[in-house]
Amino acid sequence: MLVLTRRAEEKIKIGDNIVVSILGIEGSNVKIGIDAPKEITILRMEIFEQIQKENIESAAKKMTDIADAARLIKKRFSKESKD
Amino acid sequence: MKINTRKFGEITIDEKKILTMPEGLPGFSGFERFVLLEDPKTAPFCWFQSLEEPNLALVIMDPLVFKPDYRLGLKKFISDMNWTDMKEGDLLIYVVVNIIGEKENKKITANLMGPLVINSKNNEAVQVVISDPAYSCQYNILESS
Repeated sequence: MLVLTRRAEEKIKIGDNIVVSILGIEGSNVKIGIDAPKEITILRMEIFEQIQKENIESAAKKMTDIADAARLIKKRFSKESKD
Repeated sequence: MKINTRKFGEITIDEKKILTMPEGLPGFSGFERFVLLEDPKTAPFCWFQSLEEPNLALVIMDPLVFKPDYRLGLKKFISDMNWTDMKEGDLLIYVVVNIIGEKENKKITANLMGPLVINSKNNEAVQVVISDPAYSCQYNILESS
């Protein structure tokens, strides 16, 4: 991993199209601005990891548990429509 | 064409129904072709089945079944994707379902933070990240009001 030290208001250029700016530093928080082409997806890592985890776990459920869950949802939400 | 699936074994699907994920599926990089399978027996769940890996199938469902007010601001996303001439109804929205906990404490959850958006005009699918703190990645479906 490349490690660089930057001060507030300094920038980093990545490739031709990406510029990362350190907008400000307050205590343990660093405010970062990113200029990148719109086709580049930029995400907070922990949010990406949560979505990844939900996908991996959803693909690993037991068929019997899935069938039970489907029945519960059907029961719960078809009842409401009759009220 | 014939494909192997986790839930239904070998089945025949219409090639026009094949969905591609140009940005991939988080957690399963390298898999880009999927198909949406439905089965009345496990409705309202559907299956997001990989064409490349029979054992890879996510359980997904229409979020409006349990959360009729689930709305996504997708205008910017649609233009970023260069999806032009979209009409309402061309976009299909699904959420990934999970079952967490054991026995009596079992919870059925939906990931409202990362819906699967399918463009039914060009058959592209993208898992979008919704940066709205109101939407949880483990929304408790049975406790919806």
